[in-house]
Amino acid sequence: MVKFIGALCIISGCGYLGLNIAQMYKKRVELLRMLQSGLNLLETEINYTSTPLPLALKRVADKLHSESRILFEHAGRLLSNKKGVTAGEAWREGVKVLVKEIPLTNEEINILTLFGYGLGISAKEDQLKNLALVKEQLHMAEMRAVQRMEKHQRMWQYLGFCLGAVVVLILI
Amino acid sequence: MTTITISKENKVTKMISSEVFESNTWLQALPNNIRHLMEHNLKFYLQNIEEIRMRIQRPLLIRMGLKEVTVDPDRKLTNDYGRGYLVRREDIEQGMEILSQSSLYAWEDELKNGYLTIPGGHRVGIVGKGVLDKGRIKTLKEISGLNYRIGREVPGCADKLLPSLINEGHIYNTLIISPPQCGKTTLLRDVVRQLSDGIPRLHFSGVNVGLVDERSEIAGMYQGQPQFFIGLRTDVLDACPKAQGMMMLIRSMSPRVVATDEIGREEDIEALYQALQAGVNVITTVHGHSLKELQERPVLKELLRWGYFERLVFLSRRRGVGTIEAVWDGKTLERMSS
Repeated sequence: MVKFIGALCIISGCGYLGLNIAQMYKKRVELLRMLQSGLNLLETEINYTSTPLPLALKRVADKLHSESRILFEHAGRLLSNKKGVTAGEAWREGVKVLVKEIPLTNEEINILTLFGYGLGISAKEDQLKNLALVKEQLHMAEMRAVQRMEKHQRMWQYLGFCLGAVVVLILI
Repeated sequence: MTTITISKENKVTKMISSEVFESNTWLQALPNNIRHLMEHNLKFYLQNIEEIRMRIQRPLLIRMGLKEVTVDPDRKLTNDYGRGYLVRREDIEQGMEILSQSSLYAWEDELKNGYLTIPGGHRVGIVGKGVLDKGRIKTLKEISGLNYRIGREVPGCADKLLPSLINEGHIYNTLIISPPQCGKTTLLRDVVRQLSDGIPRLHFSGVNVGLVDERSEIAGMYQGQPQFFIGLRTDVLDACPKAQGMMMLIRSMSPRVVATDEIGREEDIEALYQALQAGVNVITTVHGHSLKELQERPVLKELLRWGYFERLVFLSRRRGVGTIEAVWDGKTLERMSS
């Protein structure tokens, strides 16, 4: 009986782990989509209402849900606190906090980090070009993330349980 | 080298530090190094500072009244400018970062005009290299100098003047005349506030006032909120060209009085006549030293000859900022009081 319960624990534990990994692929795709939506909102704030970044980032965060809001919320809060933090620094800190929640690939982190370097320091025209570029890059990254998801999601959904079963077999 | 001594004996400078900093919100808009200097070494002078000028690789200049001083390496005020704190490029860049809230794109119109308004209603003048678009300035880049102009609110500074501007509920069209930095805007702000709130001692109930604040100096609007007391019945058209703004206000808000700063352009005259036709009184200001000088200016001479302004108020700094030198009757061109 104890062995049976132990085996069940191992299989369900490994299965859960596998499901989590599979879920992560999906979450990453969703995050990349939401980030693009967030950047679209930011573009509206910059282009049509010329809202300064501390308020613009907060407004974007208020309209987003899920983890994507973390980046905008954290960067906006840092900028509002007025401790001599530049927009670029605030944005990069936001990226760091976001990565803790959802592990992004190095390429995706680079895209977001590089965008921060130009944030707020130039005229509207340049800001819009910078936004268009980062959205394009995120779109490409999303396409790649979708491919990865299609390739690995199903595999991990089963692999966890299979690995659990193998471990149980070895132990028995 | 001379070390400047400025009296610390006035009541205001005896405020405790935290109150001093709270009442000087403009400190937050300074670059870190300069803010540090102000907060730690010049805190007793904060109430006297009128202007802080920063130019790259030149000494920091602080104007208090008629004195202009700098800060020496021992962090003392001096007029030996050679020993003054040299403003660095980083100071200016940091200043711009703070002033624009890291969002230069949001202030393109303001940069085009060469100034930003900061919380507290103070203004910061900006110079740099112009970026042109079809021959017109589109924005500024390579910012090389900042001028923080600290706006002061002096409630009650118009008390002595107001009896000359009101007669049994009628408000005279008034022109306030003075050289720069004699307190025209401060006086106008207090006139607007009192007309708007009402003046019990003159049995004058408040009236709707329309304020066209082209340079955001009178109300000091910041994100839709006036930073100075301008009265409870005052509507502000911020950063709008005077002539256009005056006509807009007359049509949209039906004010009894329209106030604006520094008239002098051709189109202003048309707006003034429109106000007259609509039965709206006008209170405004102009740069000038004497009536004779104004009578020689093409735009103003007609208005003065025609007697548009019923009251002419002359200001100076003779006994401090905002000294009312004289009030003239604009129709008879006779001095009314001194």
